[in-house]
Amino acid sequence: MKWLKFMVPALVLSLAAAGCILVSGQFLVDFALDDFDVSTESTVTREDVDLNTNEDYADHKDELKAIADIAVLGTLKNNLSGNIGIEVWMTATPTTYTTSTEVSNNATKLWGPFVVLGNASKTVDWNESANLFSGPGKALLLNEIKGDGQFTIYAIGNSTTYSVDVDNGVLAIVLDFGK
Amino acid sequence: MRKLFAIAALTSLVAAGAAHATGVGVGVFGGLSYPIIQDDVASGSMLGLRAPVSLAPMITVEPFYASSSLGDAEVTLGGLPYTREGFSGKAYGLNVMLGSPIGMGFKFYPIVGIGKYKLERTGTDINEVGYNIGLGIGIGATPKLSLQVRGELELVKTGDTSRKFGNATAGLTYSLMP
Repeated sequence: MKWLKFMVPALVLSLAAAGCILVSGQFLVDFALDDFDVSTESTVTREDVDLNTNEDYADHKDELKAIADIAVLGTLKNNLSGNIGIEVWMTATPTTYTTSTEVSNNATKLWGPFVVLGNASKTVDWNESANLFSGPGKALLLNEIKGDGQFTIYAIGNSTTYSVDVDNGVLAIVLDFGK
Repeated sequence: MRKLFAIAALTSLVAAGAAHATGVGVGVFGGLSYPIIQDDVASGSMLGLRAPVSLAPMITVEPFYASSSLGDAEVTLGGLPYTREGFSGKAYGLNVMLGSPIGMGFKFYPIVGIGKYKLERTGTDINEVGYNIGLGIGIGATPKLSLQVRGELELVKTGDTSRKFGNATAGLTYSLMP
């Protein structure tokens, strides 16, 4: 029964060690994207993201520890008859690529492909979206979120010809904050 | 393999203690689990099994297994409603209580515990150590059967932070010994 003398203090110590994780939480930060078109008939679509415009992010930036969950959301309308997979790519610094080849050669794939059937419209499901993130893209995003919070994202299609309207786009990130 | 080893070690520990036990019981419980400061999950239900073993008048150890089904988070983003599925959770571990929760009468006891927690949903798989601390009330209406009501704070470690839950449970424990 001697082990009991050690077990209770050990458990108490374990809880004390957990003290540093006590003051923490998971907060949803969303960054709304302007409605845009993803099309081979125009230059590639990009959005310069500055998370500092989000009050929650700006207030808790120093306490940020990790990304707990993430999703690209919105409604995508495929204007052509063929199925299309939409992908989101990102660069850590501001960039101004104009073609999908430049993007895929120089940026890091963040998300996708999200498949939209020909001449159909589809709203991204959060659960499906959470599964479409690439490991390197998520790591880069976390690095930027912990850094200056500024990066550039691009949306491209994974076929030679495409035309997709993206409405109500949102980058939703659940951040792990802790003191 | 590690899971099997942990279960075997836990069983050995409790079996060794049970040889000196002054009281042994088995119980089932169920209740509600409330996420604390978590925007991406909602409250849900939980249920489980536990086996209190009183090793001394003031000390009871209790291996437990718990399963939880947390609710979906519903948020509106960009003008559209979205749903993020809640976690499906499983946990096993060991509680230590000051006092004995079983037996006749009204018992009031503090609880601390440690365990292995698994929280899963599409795109997320948390498999980490967790801790719990709380208070329990045992109401023994007969020598063998008692009602257990508990409130616990549960922390599942996630790197430098944690997922926290407030659990409110009620259950029945049957005393096998004495």
